[in-house]
Amino acid sequence: MTVDRSRRLTRWLAVIAIVLAVLAPLAGSPYSSQHASIDVTSLARAVSREEDHVTALELAQWIKERRAGLRVVDVRSAEDYATFHVPRAEHLSLDSLASAPFRSDETIVLYSEGGTHAAQAWVFLRALGYRKVFFLRGGLYEWLDQVMNPTLADTTAAARAAFERAAVLSRYFGGVPRSDLRPSSEDAIRIPVADSASDRAAVQLPPKSSEAKLLQVRRRGC
Amino acid sequence: MTAPYFELGYFGERGALVAALVIGIAFGWCLESAGMGSARKLSAQFYLTDLTVFKVMFSAIVTAMLGLFWLGRLGVLDLSRVYVPETYILPQLVGGLIFGMGFALGGLCPGTSCVAAVTGRLDGAAVVLGMWSGVLATGLFFPSLQTFYEATPRGAFTLPQVFHLSHGVAVLIVVLVAISGFRGAEWIEGRFATHSKLSAPRNALRETPVAEGVGA
Repeated sequence: MTVDRSRRLTRWLAVIAIVLAVLAPLAGSPYSSQHASIDVTSLARAVSREEDHVTALELAQWIKERRAGLRVVDVRSAEDYATFHVPRAEHLSLDSLASAPFRSDETIVLYSEGGTHAAQAWVFLRALGYRKVFFLRGGLYEWLDQVMNPTLADTTAAARAAFERAAVLSRYFGGVPRSDLRPSSEDAIRIPVADSASDRAAVQLPPKSSEAKLLQVRRRGC
Repeated sequence: MTAPYFELGYFGERGALVAALVIGIAFGWCLESAGMGSARKLSAQFYLTDLTVFKVMFSAIVTAMLGLFWLGRLGVLDLSRVYVPETYILPQLVGGLIFGMGFALGGLCPGTSCVAAVTGRLDGAAVVLGMWSGVLATGLFFPSLQTFYEATPRGAFTLPQVFHLSHGVAVLIVVLVAISGFRGAEWIEGRFATHSKLSAPRNALRETPVAEGVGA
């Protein structure tokens, strides 16, 4: 190979290398699986300011007012989801979260049975760069306690006002608000029942055959 | 089907050994073709009269990096399955210094010493012997070396992590540094080779692309 031909070849190789390198920043990540990085300080700040979670009543309010861009995500098993889930929630397993087609402007609320898996999923989604992510801190238990079966805790005016607000949401979702101050533990376990036909249409109720399973969920560890 | 095939279990350990043998022989042939089996040529690196080693190494880095990046991006290679060696700053600094001293004294590094030994050069055989003795001694005295060996760990520490860059930007910067490096190396060679009597003998095969690197 002559020196001239060699120089021409190496010049071509250099040009190819430069073209591939210039295109590289525009090509995105070379990893097929999601590799995210965590800004620990920012996440810790969000947790200490309690900006990482929502209460069941807040979530109920968001769903009721049909908040724009709200995605409620159930990260439990598909079987548990089929048994009972928060109205308008979609099911996504933890494995498929990384590839879930969320938009950056959507508000994502994650929930699991108790709250641990949803909190872990919150970290994953924050690491992937989603900003408006929350989890239901007490999980489905909190939803059942505070939305489906709210009870009046004491007789102060503030408590009554809070109960009334919760009761409105509860009825919307087909729950049973209880105002007696000393419910027995068995009485507190209620299957949601919609007040009216329109409410019933808005709420996805558990099928009769799954009522026992729902009771099981309630007993597992509120 | 995505690579790495061994990691994904497409072929077993025996298959991996066969692949390693074939790739190793091809690598050695390329090194020898580029004149890298000669201690004189490699030593010339330290006298700035022949920077072929620098150019070959950087060409290999750029080629492998662009290949890994684009194969990963196109879904041919699952990069998360490719092992990234962990960084231990202090022991690797000391190890690098010892390695550099051996390289300057012997004129050969591990790969090129094997090539030199296979082609019958005695200095190559001596370096291979020294390398094996070093590996053996490290193994024998590992318990007392272990604390130092595992000091200052940083995990799989990569340029995008250190400089908070995306992989694509890191690729672009490394390629630009390499191209500038090749230009700089040409300039240095031109300047020093004419003033030095230590100029390495020109290998007949030096004009191969491997020897020249992409910037020659």
